[in-house]
Amino acid sequence: MQQQRIHFTQKLEELRMQLIRMAALAEKAVADATRAYLENDTDLAESVVMNDTVINDTEDTIDAFNLELLALDQPMACDLRFIIGSMRLTVNLERIGDECVNLAHRTLFLSTRSPLPPNARMERLCAHVQEMLAKAIRSFVDEDTALASQICSMDHTADELCLKVLKEAISTMVDETRIVERSVHVIMASRHLERIGDLATNLAEAVIFIKEGQNVKHRCKG
Amino acid sequence: MANIKVSSQSLDFHYGTFHALHQVDLDFEEHQVTALIGPSGCGKSTYLRCINRMNDLIPGARVSGQLTLEGEDIYASGVDVVSLRRRVGMVFQKPNPFPKTIYENVAYGLRVNGVKDKRVLDESVESSLRGAALWDEAKDRLEASALGLSGGQQQRLCIARALAVRPEVLLMDEPASALDPIATQKIEDLIHELKRDLTIIIVTHSMQQAARVSDRTAFFYLGKLIEEGDTRTIFTHPRNKQTEDYITGRFG
Repeated sequence: MQQQRIHFTQKLEELRMQLIRMAALAEKAVADATRAYLENDTDLAESVVMNDTVINDTEDTIDAFNLELLALDQPMACDLRFIIGSMRLTVNLERIGDECVNLAHRTLFLSTRSPLPPNARMERLCAHVQEMLAKAIRSFVDEDTALASQICSMDHTADELCLKVLKEAISTMVDETRIVERSVHVIMASRHLERIGDLATNLAEAVIFIKEGQNVKHRCKG
Repeated sequence: MANIKVSSQSLDFHYGTFHALHQVDLDFEEHQVTALIGPSGCGKSTYLRCINRMNDLIPGARVSGQLTLEGEDIYASGVDVVSLRRRVGMVFQKPNPFPKTIYENVAYGLRVNGVKDKRVLDESVESSLRGAALWDEAKDRLEASALGLSGGQQQRLCIARALAVRPEVLLMDEPASALDPIATQKIEDLIHELKRDLTIIIVTHSMQQAARVSDRTAFFYLGKLIEEGDTRTIFTHPRNKQTEDYITGRFG
C-alpha cells in the first residue's frame, strides 16, 4: 500500500505541530502561574498575563487552518476526527491560558497584602493539575488513550483538593475575620486550578475521540 | 425488523479465469440507499451488475453462491431475466437515451412489456418524469429528441425510463460522474426522494457523494467485501484499517 495524499498529510502534520506548540505554551503558562502564586512572584505573574495573547493568537491561527482543511480537503474518518478533535484541544488550551491569567491576578492581588501562611493543599493542587496537563499533552503527542483515560480519573483528586481548600479557608475565616479578603482570593485561586484540571480532562477526552472515535465527554469519570 | 430486499451469500464471480468477487455476503434493506465504494477494479460494479444479471452477457462470466431478490434466487434456472430487469432497474455512468423522443424513451419499457393503451402510457410517462424531477422541464417538449437535452437532463430521463416499469430496486453505476455540480445535486436530491418507493444501490467513486446520499456503505477491495455498515460510522470511525485508508485517500 502506498502513502497517498501527500500534500494533505503534510498539512495534518503541520496542524499537529501547531497543536503541540500551543500545548507547550499552555503548559508553561500553568507552570509559571502556579509558581508565581506559590512564591508570590509578581514579575512572573505579570508575564503570564502578557503571554496569554500568544496563546490566543495561536488559537486563531489553528482555527483558520482547521477551517481551510475542512473546506478544501473534505477530510474523512480519522482525519476528520483529528481536525474536530484539534478544535476541541485549542478551545480547552486557550481556556487554560485564561485560567492562568485569572490565577496570576489572584497572585497580584495577594501580593498587595501581608502573606498568608504556606498552604500545603494549594501546593498539592498546583502540582496535581500540572501533572494532569502534562499527561494530557503527552497522551496527545504519543496518541496514548490509556494515558488519556488516567487523566479522567485524576480529575476527582483535583476536585477533592479544591473542596478541602474551600472548607479550610471557610473555617479559617470564621476564626479570623482579618483574613477574609485574602481567603476569598485563595478560594478563587483554588477554583482556577480546579478548572485547569477540568480542562486537562477535556483535552484527554479529545485525544480519546481522535484516536478511537469514542465520544467520552461527560462520561469520563474517575 | 427491516425487510431485506436483496441479499448475497458467499457470492463468487469469475470472468474466465479471473476471480472478480470472493465470497461476498451482503444484505440490502428495503427503502435504503447503499453505496458501494472502492478503488477501480475492486469488484463493486461487477457486484452491482450481478444483481440484474447484466454480467450474463459477458462471455466466460460465471457466478456461484447465492443472490436473492425478496428471498428468490436471481440465478435459479427458469428465472425470466427480462422480468428480473423490470424489477431491478439500472442507470449507467453515461446517460444513454435512445435516439427517440423524450416521450418514447420513457414509454419504451412499457411498450416492450406490451402496454398499448395511450392513456396508460401518457399517465406513466408523466408520473415517471415527475418521479425523476424532469416533468417541469420536459412537459412542453415531449415530442422533441431526447438527444437535445443537457447531460443532467438526459441522466434524469434515463432514471425516468427506469422508473416507468415500476422497479423495486434501482441500481446506479456512478450516475453523476459525468455531470456538473448542479446536475449532480439534482440527482442526489432525487435519490433521497426515490428511496421512499425503491431500494437503491449506487456505485460511486465520490466519497462525499456516498456520504451524502447513502444510508449504508459497503467497501470493496480486490474483489472482497472489506466492511459494510451505517454510512455515518463508515465515514467517521470505520472499524477496518483498509476502509479508513481508502476513504481518507491514503490507498495506493
